[in-house]
Amino acid sequence: MFARLMESGNKKIADMAVRSNFRSFRFRNDRIFFQKASLHDKTILGLITKEPGKKSMQMEVYDCKQKTDLATATLIWDTKNNQKITSVAGKNVIRGGKASWDFYSDLFGRNSIDNKGLMIKQYVHYDKGMDNAYWDGRRMVYGDGDGAVFTSFTSDIDVIGHELTHGVTENEANLNYENQAGALNESFSDIFGIMIKQKYDNQDVKKSNWLIGEKVMVGPRYALRSLKAPGTAYIDHPELGTDPQPATMDKYQNLPNNESGDWGGVHINSGITNFAFYVAAFNIGGYAWEKAGRIWYAVLTDTALVQNAEFVDVKNLTISHAEKMFGINSSESKAVRQGWDEAKV
Amino acid sequence: MKIKLIRTGGFLPITREAEADVNLSDKQVKQLLEIIQHDRIPSPIKDGHYYLLDIGTKSTLVDLEKVPDEYKALFSKLKDDLKIIK
Repeated sequence: MFARLMESGNKKIADMAVRSNFRSFRFRNDRIFFQKASLHDKTILGLITKEPGKKSMQMEVYDCKQKTDLATATLIWDTKNNQKITSVAGKNVIRGGKASWDFYSDLFGRNSIDNKGLMIKQYVHYDKGMDNAYWDGRRMVYGDGDGAVFTSFTSDIDVIGHELTHGVTENEANLNYENQAGALNESFSDIFGIMIKQKYDNQDVKKSNWLIGEKVMVGPRYALRSLKAPGTAYIDHPELGTDPQPATMDKYQNLPNNESGDWGGVHINSGITNFAFYVAAFNIGGYAWEKAGRIWYAVLTDTALVQNAEFVDVKNLTISHAEKMFGINSSESKAVRQGWDEAKV
Repeated sequence: MKIKLIRTGGFLPITREAEADVNLSDKQVKQLLEIIQHDRIPSPIKDGHYYLLDIGTKSTLVDLEKVPDEYKALFSKLKDDLKIIK
């Protein structure tokens, strides 16, 4: 019908037919595209929105009372009862857990760690003077620090966001915790941890110091990690020496894949991919979570990210997603390429 | 004999060590290690700590939750004494 009208001798009718045909073509193709689009594609295009009233954070906080048996820890706070608590560590993890939950929910429509509303369980005062925080596959656990080199591992929101992100990664790409895949696992936790803190503090890429765990480490010149300058989080520390993280691939450390070798240097070589993210986010500008964060989240939740992924796989996926989101020659996709170039991946 | 407890791993992967002199027979050492030996690790705990017990030239990955009552004070003291190794 359109073809006949477009050939009409009446110019007005012919013009109208061309416009109608064009609109019809676009609607038809949009429909086909969206019918074929995966949930993941729809999420990154912002088509999956929060459904008000369907999601709500569920959290429980337990006090281990400096013991190591999590089964005997005491429940001190939960979202249902919102108890008044005196434990500073308890207050810290409520704040950090909420900031992390909000970050994933508000920006990506994610419903908790597993995207199915998982109860966030956090355990504080674990063991005597334990200088650590960890994710055990179900829960986040925090020690009080030794008081000399480390304070409580609940002191920084980025550390709490880091641990919660281990849970997110486990429910998405489930990256192996060894060698390059393990370093990527650590890097996603650092990257989302720092963005959770930046968003909580409303800091843009210039205002942020890009340090993880600066309150956890005793002393104003020290932090656990630096995404801006890996290898400088602590320098000539009397107890720890100097931060061993490399920033570039030519300095990648081949360490034994066992408990003594940090499973192939997962906390060491993560500096390389952390630095790639920092450069990309800084060159994009503004708030890291708005563009760079969306790109990295799209990769983390992309089924193409396999368990034994290497740095180059994440490089290719971030570039591909940046191009898909912002255009092939966009400043954003160029910034992502620059990030990986600077990190020499 | 000297035994050494070594803790590795963590959010910041540092090594801490502590030593103690103990009077244990070879049989007691063998029994202790059989009890506290760590199960095979299917997938490491994210940011988790791990403990190794060095006795002589043998290094064994151990699970301190399995330490028998009669050795709890010894291992508690070793944990308290753990010092960072640069």
